[in-house]
Amino acid sequence: MTSRLLDLPSLLRLQSLQLRARLVAEGALQGLHKAAHHGSSVEFAEHKEYAPGDELRHIDWRAWGRMDKYYVKRYEEESEVRGYIVVDGSGSMGYGRQDQLTKLDFARLLAAALAYLLLRQHDSSGVVIAKEAGPLYIPPRAGPAHLGDLCRALEETQPEGRTELGDALTLLSETVRRRSMIVVLSDLLPPPPLDESVDYSEYLRKQSALLRAKLVSLRAQKHDVVVLQILDADELELPWTSLTWFEEVEPTLAGHERLFVDPGDVRKAYLAELTQFLTETRRSLREGDVDYALVQSSRSPESVLLDILRGPLRQKVRR
Amino acid sequence: MQFLSPAYAAFLFLGILPVIIHLHGRRRAQVRKLPTLLLLRASNRRVAQRTRLRHVLLLLLRILLLLAIPLVLARPFVETDSDLPVQVSQTQRAVLIFDDSLSMMYQPQGELNLGKATLFERGRKLANRIIDALPQGAEAALILGSRGGEAPVGELTSDRTRLYSAISALRPTYRATDLPSAFKRATQMLSTQRDGLRRIYVIGDTSAHALDGSLHPPPETEVSLVDVREGKMLPNCAVVDLRAEPASSMGPRAVRVMAELHNFGDEPVKELAVTLLVDGQAVAKGLVDLQPRGQAMKRFIHILPPPQNQTQTPGNGEAQVTQGAGLHHLAVKLATDALEADNARHLRVDVQAVLRVLLLDGDPRNLRRDDEAYYLEMALRPSERDDSPLQLVTRSLDEGLGSLSEFDAVVLLNAKAQDLSRRGIERGLIEYVKGGGGLLIGLGDNVEVDAYNRVLAELLPQPLAVIKTAGALPNGPTGEGESSTQGPGEHIGQLDRHHPLLQPFLTGRSSESLLSASFARYLLLQPTPRSQGETTAILSFESGAPALVERVVGRGRVLLYTSTLDRDWNDLAIQPAFLPLMQQIVRHLSRAPLQKAETETLIGQTRDIKLQTGDTRVEVTLPSGKTRLFERLQGRKLLSFGETREPGFYRVATAGETGVLKPRPSEHFVVNIDPIESDLQLAPASRLAALQRPLITQEASAGGKNPRRRVELWHALGWVLLVILLGEALLLRQK
Repeated sequence: MTSRLLDLPSLLRLQSLQLRARLVAEGALQGLHKAAHHGSSVEFAEHKEYAPGDELRHIDWRAWGRMDKYYVKRYEEESEVRGYIVVDGSGSMGYGRQDQLTKLDFARLLAAALAYLLLRQHDSSGVVIAKEAGPLYIPPRAGPAHLGDLCRALEETQPEGRTELGDALTLLSETVRRRSMIVVLSDLLPPPPLDESVDYSEYLRKQSALLRAKLVSLRAQKHDVVVLQILDADELELPWTSLTWFEEVEPTLAGHERLFVDPGDVRKAYLAELTQFLTETRRSLREGDVDYALVQSSRSPESVLLDILRGPLRQKVRR
Repeated sequence: MQFLSPAYAAFLFLGILPVIIHLHGRRRAQVRKLPTLLLLRASNRRVAQRTRLRHVLLLLLRILLLLAIPLVLARPFVETDSDLPVQVSQTQRAVLIFDDSLSMMYQPQGELNLGKATLFERGRKLANRIIDALPQGAEAALILGSRGGEAPVGELTSDRTRLYSAISALRPTYRATDLPSAFKRATQMLSTQRDGLRRIYVIGDTSAHALDGSLHPPPETEVSLVDVREGKMLPNCAVVDLRAEPASSMGPRAVRVMAELHNFGDEPVKELAVTLLVDGQAVAKGLVDLQPRGQAMKRFIHILPPPQNQTQTPGNGEAQVTQGAGLHHLAVKLATDALEADNARHLRVDVQAVLRVLLLDGDPRNLRRDDEAYYLEMALRPSERDDSPLQLVTRSLDEGLGSLSEFDAVVLLNAKAQDLSRRGIERGLIEYVKGGGGLLIGLGDNVEVDAYNRVLAELLPQPLAVIKTAGALPNGPTGEGESSTQGPGEHIGQLDRHHPLLQPFLTGRSSESLLSASFARYLLLQPTPRSQGETTAILSFESGAPALVERVVGRGRVLLYTSTLDRDWNDLAIQPAFLPLMQQIVRHLSRAPLQKAETETLIGQTRDIKLQTGDTRVEVTLPSGKTRLFERLQGRKLLSFGETREPGFYRVATAGETGVLKPRPSEHFVVNIDPIESDLQLAPASRLAALQRPLITQEASAGGKNPRRRVELWHALGWVLLVILLGEALLLRQK
């Protein structure tokens, strides 16, 4: 199956996000063993007995003639999936090894591919990009032309500054009334504290808890919330061996903070801290009925998309 | 503190390197962005204190490491006052005589307060310190003080490196001390120098045996005795002698092994464990108490395994018994003590596979039962079995002697003296006995007293006197010159109960048939002339007249039976005791079960290995397992083997024309240490003073600077270095 997927270097050579997203989406759909293209965009699905409130133009008069009963034709285009894709555009998402996708690249690609899939099935898709200046909100619309708008907004997003993902979530919470599907693509890392004297563990715990609370509250609003936590292999392994100055990606009041440390000395403690952070995130989100998955940015986007389609979005995206 | 190689000390500045590397590394360290820095900070805060401590320790250890390496290479030392003779620091020409004899292997026990090092190792340190203390320009040489010892530095030299190197290469030996030879050599070296002070330093254990009266200080030369034992008494026990002899009473292959043990200490030794080993296997153990400076004989009786009669067929087709088939390596070993090297002594014994006996029949008869040889043959080979341990050859005097060397015993039966002298047989017998052979003389009617006394004077234990008739003869009248006593006949009345030959007849009723034999006639003997040495009457008649007499002649022995060995004069030949008695006599004469004793080879002595025609190569395997190969030996009859440097059993293999080495057990031999080395009694103070006679006055000697003792620190620093390395490795592992 993986042989059908587009390899990462080939993907990186493609300039257009829209094209890349389409390739990723088509590759994922191939992985689902189903024809990727359905032909007509409006197809008959089933008959339903007429009930007050149904549109009269959908009554099947031929059926009335044969059976003397009113039946209403139902079409697939009647799907009412409204998808919001939240992309974390904070500075921390700009991390990635050379010749590899950054976490933001990865998130953008996934977001565009998801949007393509939704638009392809005549659902509406919107994007919220968390930025330092405030969240950029592109409301959901249906139609293939909308994909270009979404991709353009995503492409123009650069990882920068201290970003509060929570602001974007708050925006969604306040804006979206109708039940929707919300996919969050973020590393879920809080911005560094402005005050260096804080207890880092405690700060991390509190900030993470706030963010998770917002995600859970979205779910409480009956939205289907899917969180993909995107982390780089370096963050998961801390692979270096020599003495290193580690620099903060997002600025504090004093600029970009540095820490001089021998990774070998702290690796064990770091991995323990990371494991605790990830475990806590997974546990609390699942307790709040939020779908969660940890994704390593070095993975193939198609395979990640395939996992999502087989998992949390199984009912949302038709093959 | 000073340095032997100060150039290396200049590299001490390298100690600052770790600090520089640390600071430089901090500045040049790579900068990496890390989004999870928050997590890293949180974890680092938890481990920071421990990590910082480890880093500081690592930095310190690395600084110490880089300081220690040049320090070790620079070989630092400090100087303190020395306990060496004050004369060491004077300008002089010196010869160091280093005692490398066996006694220097002594390893003092803890209570002697001498440490655990052997005397040899202590001596080596002292030798090094003497070289250290000699003033600049002094010359020295090094000679070994053991018998046959070389001169590692054979001429005076001021090259310290060469002297240190020679001292370092010294190894203890099993040789005995020979200081007179070393003094002679030292005197020759020093005699080439006319000016300046000449001194001999003797570094050794100052034992009395090494410094005996035969040792005289050379003229115009001072002698300093450097005592490695510091005047302490050194107790020691040793096996100083080991012998084996037949133990007939225990059987034909029984040997009595006698080990002479000495206690050279001033304290009694209780229950000292003594072990007998045969071919490397412990076969018997015993305990011995030894008085202070006392000795004891420990006896073991052991029945050796029967020799394997391996026969080989040489080119002439005649089967011969392989020599050495019954060869054994005997050793007696004491429990471990401070001087291990003298706790064992070795012996080579060769169990005879076959006793070869020659019967010289002086009165052969056509009727077998009238012949003396008939009764002896029946007694010595009772059933004519092929596997009988006795091989008999019967010859008449007319046939001559032939080669006697192939016989272990000879029996002369009723021979006429003129027949013996006419054919020169008596000369052959005398040479044979003096060379270690055994001879039994049986008398009879052919014996003429005067002629016998004349012809066989050198062999007869006692001169013959007169024939005595004590009873009626089975046949024949009495002759002239015979005593006319008539009666019922004589019986054996006295047995030498201590004689090994008679041991089987001492128990139970075994002697009854011997005592019941009736002797009608026998020869009385004259008193023994003093010049002949002692004789032993093994059997005597009731009248007191000897019946069987023994005399040691040269390395051999002669037994004289004063009656006939057939039934002419007595009926012993038909008594049950005749068979065991004759068997015992023959075994006694041939020293069965052992072959002839060989001369002991001591450490350093040359051993002659006999070569046979066609031998081209000889390989000698030393007790340690090392081998020495000698080649191109064609045409030689002897190989002088001089590498007898270790005690134990040496095996010899030879190669004939085929070129394949085969063991030759007959040439195997043992080498033992000289027991004189076991006595570590300190030489008396008067003797030490006499040897150390000063040539210069005390005042003059006091003018010399006190010698200084160098204490080298780099060994300890080396250990510190190792500990640092280990510590660094441990700290690195704790990441």
